[in-house]
Amino acid sequence: MTTVPVPSPALTVGRQGNYAGAVSRLAAFAADVGASWGLYTLGVAMLNAAFKLVSGHSFSLSNHQLPAFIVLTLWEFLYFTYQWAVSGKTLGMAVLGLQVVTKQGGPISGRQAVFRTVGLGITLFLTLGIGFLGIVYQHERRALNDLIAGTAVVYDWDARAARLRWIARKEAQPSAASSARRHGD
Amino acid sequence: MSPNPIGNKVEQLAQSLAEHIVPLIVDAINIDAILDKVDINQIVERVDVNEIVERVDIQKIIDRVDVQEIIERVDINAIVDKIDIDSLVEQTELGSIIARSTTGVLTEVLDVIRAQGVGLDDFIFRWCNLLLGRRKKVAGWPAGPPLLIAKAAPAP
Repeated sequence: MTTVPVPSPALTVGRQGNYAGAVSRLAAFAADVGASWGLYTLGVAMLNAAFKLVSGHSFSLSNHQLPAFIVLTLWEFLYFTYQWAVSGKTLGMAVLGLQVVTKQGGPISGRQAVFRTVGLGITLFLTLGIGFLGIVYQHERRALNDLIAGTAVVYDWDARAARLRWIARKEAQPSAASSARRHGD
Repeated sequence: MSPNPIGNKVEQLAQSLAEHIVPLIVDAINIDAILDKVDINQIVERVDVNEIVERVDIQKIIDRVDVQEIIERVDINAIVDKIDIDSLVEQTELGSIIARSTTGVLTEVLDVIRAQGVGLDDFIFRWCNLLLGRRKKVAGWPAGPPLLIAKAAPAP
């Protein structure tokens, strides 16, 4: 098994609370799109099955484009708004270790979560993604939806524990290998 | 009143003479020259330190020490800050204990993804700054929101 080198404290512990960059945020967003789409598909399948069970007739939401679009829009709105309002992070952001905070660095309000989700829609569809460029050129790395909601995205994961685990793994691997050799003898 | 007035006068004269002469003699003595001639090492060799130590009641001194006050004066946080946790984990069994107790496959994957993400973020940010020709300007940009950066800054 290959050993991954321990990243420097500057890239782990030292970054907590700093503005997050484009790759982490894009990856988190992609994970969220996947998760929300997966949950939506699962929900629709369950709804279809329940309808068939109750009425005996087959019903598919995907055959009705307008209702399907409205439900999907509502679901996406709920998915992002609820998670941002409750914990300041979505599933994808939790995986990537990101957190939405106010411009000053405090926890965001429900109102800001709503504005951020609406702003996300505007950034995605009205500006065709150009609003996201703020992540690389704006001095606080804030996209258009951040500017609308008065928020920022920062790194927020337990980097100290991660670093210790990293060092511990590195230290544990040679001893595990020597133990295996001993058993082999 | 003294029974012998002549004796008293002689005594006062002697006292007055002594007060004038002694400072003159002391000033005339070159203490440094005397010290230069003294072999301090020889004196130290003659001293029996063990005997002195045996005479000292260490227990009595310890009893007088207020350990609680000393502990209260010690800045434990400053001491903990000086400990190199990384090397402690590397050099002791603590590392394998942490590894066994906390490492799961998911945690390992998350650690790698997050650290790689930060590295890639930096890479993209550097290249964008290079393309936009603003590398010097970026140096003055804030690292994070004021509340979080102030919290992360080390205590003075």
